[in-house]
Amino acid sequence: MGHLPATTSPESAPETVLAGPGQQPAGDRSAPGGAELVLHRVRKQFADFTAVQATDLTVRAGEFFALLGPSGCGKTTTLRMVAGLETPTGGSIRIGGRDVTSLPSYRRPVNTVFQSYALFPHMTVRENVAFGPRRRRVRDWKARTEDFLRLVELHHLADRRPAQLSGGQQQRVALARALVNQPEILLLDEPLGALDMKLRRQMQSELKRIQAEVGLTFVHVTHDQEEAMSMADRMAVMNEGRIEQIGRPEDLYHLPRTAFVANFLGRSNLMAGTVTGGGGGTGPLFEVDASGHRLAVHRDRAVSSTGEVLVGVRPEKIHLRPAGAGADGATAGGGVNRVTGAVTDVAFTGVSTEYRVEVPGLGELGVFAQNRGEDLMRPGDAVGLSWDPAHAFGLDGRQDAAAGDEAV
Amino acid sequence: MTSRVAGRSGKQAGFERAAAPAGGTAQSRNRAGYGLVGPGLVYLLVFFVLPVFTLLATSLYVKPPGAEVGQFVPALEFGNYAVVLGGYWPELLRSFGFALLATVLCLVIGYPMAYLIAVRLRGRALVQGLLLVLLIAPFFTSFVLRTQAWKQILADEGFLVQALKTLHLMPQGASLTATSVAVVAGLTYNFLPFMVLPIYANLQALDHRLLEAGRDLYGSDLAVFRTVTLPISVPGVLAGTLLTFIPASGDFVNAAILGNNRNTTMIGQVIDSKFMRVLDYPGAAALSFILMVAILVLVTLYVRRFGTRDLV
Repeated sequence: MGHLPATTSPESAPETVLAGPGQQPAGDRSAPGGAELVLHRVRKQFADFTAVQATDLTVRAGEFFALLGPSGCGKTTTLRMVAGLETPTGGSIRIGGRDVTSLPSYRRPVNTVFQSYALFPHMTVRENVAFGPRRRRVRDWKARTEDFLRLVELHHLADRRPAQLSGGQQQRVALARALVNQPEILLLDEPLGALDMKLRRQMQSELKRIQAEVGLTFVHVTHDQEEAMSMADRMAVMNEGRIEQIGRPEDLYHLPRTAFVANFLGRSNLMAGTVTGGGGGTGPLFEVDASGHRLAVHRDRAVSSTGEVLVGVRPEKIHLRPAGAGADGATAGGGVNRVTGAVTDVAFTGVSTEYRVEVPGLGELGVFAQNRGEDLMRPGDAVGLSWDPAHAFGLDGRQDAAAGDEAV
Repeated sequence: MTSRVAGRSGKQAGFERAAAPAGGTAQSRNRAGYGLVGPGLVYLLVFFVLPVFTLLATSLYVKPPGAEVGQFVPALEFGNYAVVLGGYWPELLRSFGFALLATVLCLVIGYPMAYLIAVRLRGRALVQGLLLVLLIAPFFTSFVLRTQAWKQILADEGFLVQALKTLHLMPQGASLTATSVAVVAGLTYNFLPFMVLPIYANLQALDHRLLEAGRDLYGSDLAVFRTVTLPISVPGVLAGTLLTFIPASGDFVNAAILGNNRNTTMIGQVIDSKFMRVLDYPGAAALSFILMVAILVLVTLYVRRFGTRDLV
């Protein structure tokens, strides 16, 4: 397993059992599978603005769920309402079928890993971890505390104060302090935000491993789309207090349903156009006229197949070739999904090259070309672009095509 | 992988060490530091260290045979200490007793006030400011005047005593004027802000997220207060109790105005009368010195017991 902690000293090796439930040391870390979380019409109104609009959301038991969105989108407020730190203005919250809407946070089967960790500075690492079990008067709180200190590989630092630990270590204390209570749902509020990139990647796989081991429902709030996509089983993209789309990361990426999701999750080229022939055909494809260009979209990959639409295609799905060369990879014939333009910018990033191509009528399109040894294009070069309609998606044309572009 | 993590943090530590001396040599910075504390050091030397030695010297002076009142000659008469200690140990003990009582009362009254302003009213700057002004406002009137006012409050015909008697909480013949109760009440009132302000400053800086974490970890409001808020506010309480206890034990105004000359005399009054009226300078100096050392010892023991290295 690619888990992070592997002890160096042989005598402690048997304790650091991280492989599976069968080999666990004293105590049983795995909770009975975590619980389902259901938000029904939950909303939060502050004095002067609506943080969360009426939201429905179901997080399945045992799932790693990510709430992704730019700052101020309501994701943290949503999390805090689940934790009981914020009272919803309306709606209900159910955990494992039980309505917890009016329960105070200390009576909810939920624990939080706070963004700032919020470790108690006057307590040792051990006392921090033991806090929850002691409040609940768990009989074997001592053994359990030690057990979870080992889970996060901090038993050797248990007598230190949080201030004496590095950021990554503090993060693990926060994790152990929450997990030791074996909550039905673990809430993570941007838990990796304060870590540097490398440590972040390590902690991401570590979190995934721990989630698999303890089998809890994890709800992870983040504004980092890569983090959300790489960790989550399913995710919700939030914007301005609403959930824009829910689904598996790959589904959201391949088939965004709003301009915001298309732009916030990765990058997209969105081209405005009008459906030709009323879109009333029966075939699997319909055609869009975008400033004279003919673009084909799969009916089942489009939110709307009439009137004004936005046709989207990811930069890496576009084939780029020197102008005049034969089409390759484009399955649609007759000039559909084929445009020509001029390269305006070239950024070589190693694995791929990012081109900007000015296409008359469509504006600048982004193209990512894998570096397989071909010669790079230069600014000013005339190029032909094409893509498979199976990779295009159709959005409602009334949206702002730039939504979510700048938001982070 | 653990070893790799350890290696990383080791390297980071090295970085910090290497980065620390950058920006001016340690020596030149030290010199600048001395320059900055210089005036303060000189001030302390002239107005604290030297007077303390003068006080110490005076406390050992003797009255030559046939000298006039207030006339003494330099000597090393350590017997002065035995004399004043033998004569005034009850006043000394009483001073510490009153000061302790007033400190405890200030804490009991002041902590909730500080907690209310700093924690409960967080985010409501206007109400906070108003309450702080109310707390400090009495200080705009004279200390003596405010203490005199307490005489009226505690007077036999005053509202408080009448009410207590009506409620049979006080025997009919009893009185509050010129009692130890009045002195302790005065001390408590006069030193209350010295208790509230340090605790307020401490609680004001309390990270609210810690309270949320406590609640999230199954702590009821009471449990969170007991295990998080209170322990973290210990430095504020420590500062507040010291700022109350130390001046209260040397105070003489409250006892002089609100007490009697039988069983409320505090050591400050004794020193005052020895210096100003009896003109027994060596005795007064010896008592002052005893008071100073006693407070120093008590405070040291107290801080050792309750102050932790990283909290003070």
